[in-house]
Amino acid sequence: MAGQSDPHISLFSAEEVEFMAEDELIEIVPNMRMDPLNFICGDFGPFLPQIATQVPMWLAVALKKRGKCAIRPPLWMSVENLTKVLEGERDSQGAFQVLPFHYVEISRLLFDHARDDIPDMYMVRSLIEDIRDVRVHKVETSLEKFSGTSAVKIPNLSAMEVNIIRPFVGRALQAFYKHDNPEKIPDVDRASSGQTRVANNEPRRPLRR
Amino acid sequence: MKIKSLKLREAHKGSANASFCSILWDLNAHHLVTASSSEPSISIHDPLLPSNPPRVLRHHRDGVTALALSPNSTCLSSGSIDHSVKLYKFPGGEFETNITRFTLPIRALAFNKSGSMLAAAGDDEGIKLINTIDGSIARVLKGHRGPVTGLAFDPNGEYLASIDSIGTVIYWELQSGRTLYTLKGVAPDTGSDTSILNVLSWSPDGETLAVPGLKNDIVMYDRDTAEKLFTLRGDHTQPICFMSWSPNGKYMATSSLDKQILIWDVNRKQDIDRQKFDNRICCMAWKPIGNALAVIDVMGKYGVWESVVPSSMKSPTEDIPSSRSKNSNGLLFFDEEDEEDQELSMSGSLSDLGEDSHGESEPPSRKRLRKQSVIDDDQHEDVYNELNLCTKTEYRKKVHRINKESSDKERDGSRSMMTFRPKMQEAFQPGSTPPQPGKRNFLCYNMLGSITTIKHDEYSHIEIDFHDTSTGPRVPPMTDYYGFTMASLNENGSVFANPCKGEKNMSTLMYRPFSSWANNSEWYMRFEGEEVKAVALGGTWVAAVTSLNFLRIYTDGGLQKHILSLNGPVVTAAGFKDELAIVTHISDCLPSNEQMLEFRIFNISKGTQPFKGHLPLTPGSYLTWFGFTEEGQLSSYDSKGVLRVFTSQYGGNWLPLFSASKERKSGENYWVVGLNASKLFCIVCKNPDSFPQVLPKPVLTLLNLSFPLASSDLGEEALENEFMLNNLHLSQIQKRIEVMADEGLDTTPLDDEAFDIEAAQDRCIFRLIASCCNGDKLVRATELVKLLSVEKSVRGAIQLATALKLPILAERFNNILEERLQSKTEVLKTSLPRSKHDRNVKADVAASMALTATERNGDQTACLEDSREVNDAGKNAGPSQVKNLQTQRPSNPFLKLPNNQEEKKVEEVMSESQSQGPSNPFFKSSNKVGEATGIQQSHRPSNPFLKSTAK
Repeated sequence: MAGQSDPHISLFSAEEVEFMAEDELIEIVPNMRMDPLNFICGDFGPFLPQIATQVPMWLAVALKKRGKCAIRPPLWMSVENLTKVLEGERDSQGAFQVLPFHYVEISRLLFDHARDDIPDMYMVRSLIEDIRDVRVHKVETSLEKFSGTSAVKIPNLSAMEVNIIRPFVGRALQAFYKHDNPEKIPDVDRASSGQTRVANNEPRRPLRR
Repeated sequence: MKIKSLKLREAHKGSANASFCSILWDLNAHHLVTASSSEPSISIHDPLLPSNPPRVLRHHRDGVTALALSPNSTCLSSGSIDHSVKLYKFPGGEFETNITRFTLPIRALAFNKSGSMLAAAGDDEGIKLINTIDGSIARVLKGHRGPVTGLAFDPNGEYLASIDSIGTVIYWELQSGRTLYTLKGVAPDTGSDTSILNVLSWSPDGETLAVPGLKNDIVMYDRDTAEKLFTLRGDHTQPICFMSWSPNGKYMATSSLDKQILIWDVNRKQDIDRQKFDNRICCMAWKPIGNALAVIDVMGKYGVWESVVPSSMKSPTEDIPSSRSKNSNGLLFFDEEDEEDQELSMSGSLSDLGEDSHGESEPPSRKRLRKQSVIDDDQHEDVYNELNLCTKTEYRKKVHRINKESSDKERDGSRSMMTFRPKMQEAFQPGSTPPQPGKRNFLCYNMLGSITTIKHDEYSHIEIDFHDTSTGPRVPPMTDYYGFTMASLNENGSVFANPCKGEKNMSTLMYRPFSSWANNSEWYMRFEGEEVKAVALGGTWVAAVTSLNFLRIYTDGGLQKHILSLNGPVVTAAGFKDELAIVTHISDCLPSNEQMLEFRIFNISKGTQPFKGHLPLTPGSYLTWFGFTEEGQLSSYDSKGVLRVFTSQYGGNWLPLFSASKERKSGENYWVVGLNASKLFCIVCKNPDSFPQVLPKPVLTLLNLSFPLASSDLGEEALENEFMLNNLHLSQIQKRIEVMADEGLDTTPLDDEAFDIEAAQDRCIFRLIASCCNGDKLVRATELVKLLSVEKSVRGAIQLATALKLPILAERFNNILEERLQSKTEVLKTSLPRSKHDRNVKADVAASMALTATERNGDQTACLEDSREVNDAGKNAGPSQVKNLQTQRPSNPFLKLPNNQEEKKVEEVMSESQSQGPSNPFFKSSNKVGEATGIQQSHRPSNPFLKSTAK
């Protein structure tokens, strides 16, 4: 895939995307007693042994590293659900299955820090990798097909996937746009040169990166 | 029709393929026996405790294809693919003998009515009739051309019916061994699939033989003539593979290859209920006493379908017919049988008790039902039946005469066997799970931690874990050569005990402290001729209750301190600090299957017994958990999911504080671990599991406590529940305050807590008042206002009522407020001569309060009068006046000092009789607005010092 191999092209690095994903909430089962924590992002706890509670991912990982809790893998991370999702991905060529926006990052974090809390860890891991590959492949093939459109709509794309394809799609769209109506679009450098806008009623679309 | 889903529990590891499984009830419904043709083991389950592991009999070398239980439930026989038929003692399960062998797999077994003869058949040619006493083969019946898959002895002992896999039914006469009738091709040909076995079954009265038909139906054949009587045809879309008559023969359960079970009312020839399953049900058995059906599917999963027959209909065990029916005349058929049925239901009432509480009123209504059913019947069918009966009369008479004597005897025998005795609950440890082979199980699980054990060949391995790993002590795992099955855990130590197993392995009690200054401070006690049944652990003591009904109390150092005798066999015990609670049986269970339990609370350090009494349980349930809340309240949880907490209200009572049936989401069981004042801590287990596994580590779920409130017309159950809970907490706290005050301790924190709860309670009541007002329940609203604890809230309520335009209600609220203030001043008055200064201040406050109240009142009357008096200023003056008074009074207490006594009286009178105010002389002297409000209002604000000067 275009941006996959080259991290410099993507807008954010994988680490940055992961950092953003760490704000997602996840359920943990603490094994210690602690008063509620009051953060800017909200109040978490109280922490009572063996009673599940919701905390941000980063806190869960921090506690897990200190052996103070067990992380409960989210519901979608079960072998059955992932098998179903994988089948769905393979069956439908166009659409993407519904998965959490940060599924790649969350699963990565859990695989790194909470291997013992995930039942059938290897199965889950390979399933998620398969799903990711299938989805990326689908994105690639759908990008191969797009032409001449002014916008691309792909629902249910996840953060990591968007991050990878966004620069490419943005530039590709710009290029298409330019080639389609070369006279209409002033080059960015020449935009200041006061070239008149074409009397075409088409509104000018600022291309987003 | 209602669709319920029935959860099945695995009894046998199903192979990937479907395999024929069998299921049986014993006579008293104490046991369920299952077997699978893919597994060599036979399991004997306890239907009361389905989570307990079954007793497993492994004597066969290959899958067990057939099971049969002798009619008196003392002898179990099994047939297997390994070609052998074995006999076992029942319910013990001791192997007795290989009673016969075949050259090919066995497919069917059947005992005759007396249990003296066993018929066995299978892929071999010929049905063997075996004497069960000596194992001799009485006869070999040859005639089938395919593997025999079903055998049924006629209940009257004359015939044997058999069916083979190609669908041929043969009636055999037992006396001679002759073939009476051969019905070829009447049942479906099941081919070579051994997971489908054609079966057939006699009705309990022996009059009809049910055989699966070719059109996805059941065909009934006559007993004597083998003529087709009628069929049960309905919604089965595939051939029927199993059927079972209810014990009274009024209903029939059929299962089909289409994976559903239909329940039929046989008289009406109509299906009354159905159930769909994931897999094909290959065997079913009606509970001999009760309205339930045990089922097992081809994957080896079994379950018990409770209340199969709707409660509006007759119980399937009512009027169990005698094996010999008396009908000598087709026309008299119904009346005669009714008489007999009545006799039977009287005599059989012992067995029926508890199954249908309305037994007394049944016979007449049943009669009606029966007649109705005749009318309901197809006219044609009806005539047909009657004709049939008439033609058969002669033949039957003869037969019955021959059989009369013997079957009478049998009937007596069977009746005595039918007496059903519910079992007394066995002793258990709260928070323990039953042992499972090859897996860890909990000996103790509480809010603090858990003790788990796993059994190896010679020894067990015990681990103690604390939930809170940061503060709990770290306890090394230990190897247990005693085989401990009971344990209890608290923060100081753990206690273990094992039952005695023979003479060599005596019952032992072991205490293991977690931290001690001395080495080797764990200790052992051995019991000779005595067995520990339950253990409990408290602050500084260890208690064990033994089979001799002794309560033995030890110090944590191991000193034998007390031995008490208890009233009955122990059920369980729990400890909390100084308190020990013990549950014992008072007497045998009631016939309606209610455990009779008693609890006692002991205070070990003081040597007192603060409470004892009956332990209430939901009817038909047993105790599953017993312990203390985090605050030290005694609580219990029963198998029907009702949590009760003991309170000293009403002289010591149990309050139902949680009901699983109200809470339960589909298919969840709650395994209680503990509770605090407002929450229940439990482990949620998905059906059919009723207890958690050690791994993965169970996670506690918090559930709110809630009274099982009836749904009221107000629709505010949540608020009402909060109201009651707050009341409960308040009374508990007040009790604790009293206790602490008696001991001379500081009660400030508790006072604060009580205040918080009171405030919360006022908020809750206030919301209830609001919903009462909206729901037009004014009387209830006034009752609620009386319960408010702070005057401010009462004022709020008055405002609310005014805002909602309910002047009558507001008036009432006002009266309540006045009464309250009045009683308060009276209280103050009585406590006057305490100290001079105190008195002054208090009186002052009270005065200002009373004033504001009356002021407000005056305010309202003023509003009414305003229109007449044309005094606009008065309206505005009202509130400011109040303010004036309130601010002014406390600021100059000395001014009022001399007048204090007087003024108090004023208030009293005033609040009592505001209407006659003006006539009262004190009003003027106190300057307290005794006059017409208009006048007063006009001059009051203008000269705030008037009052003091007037005094």
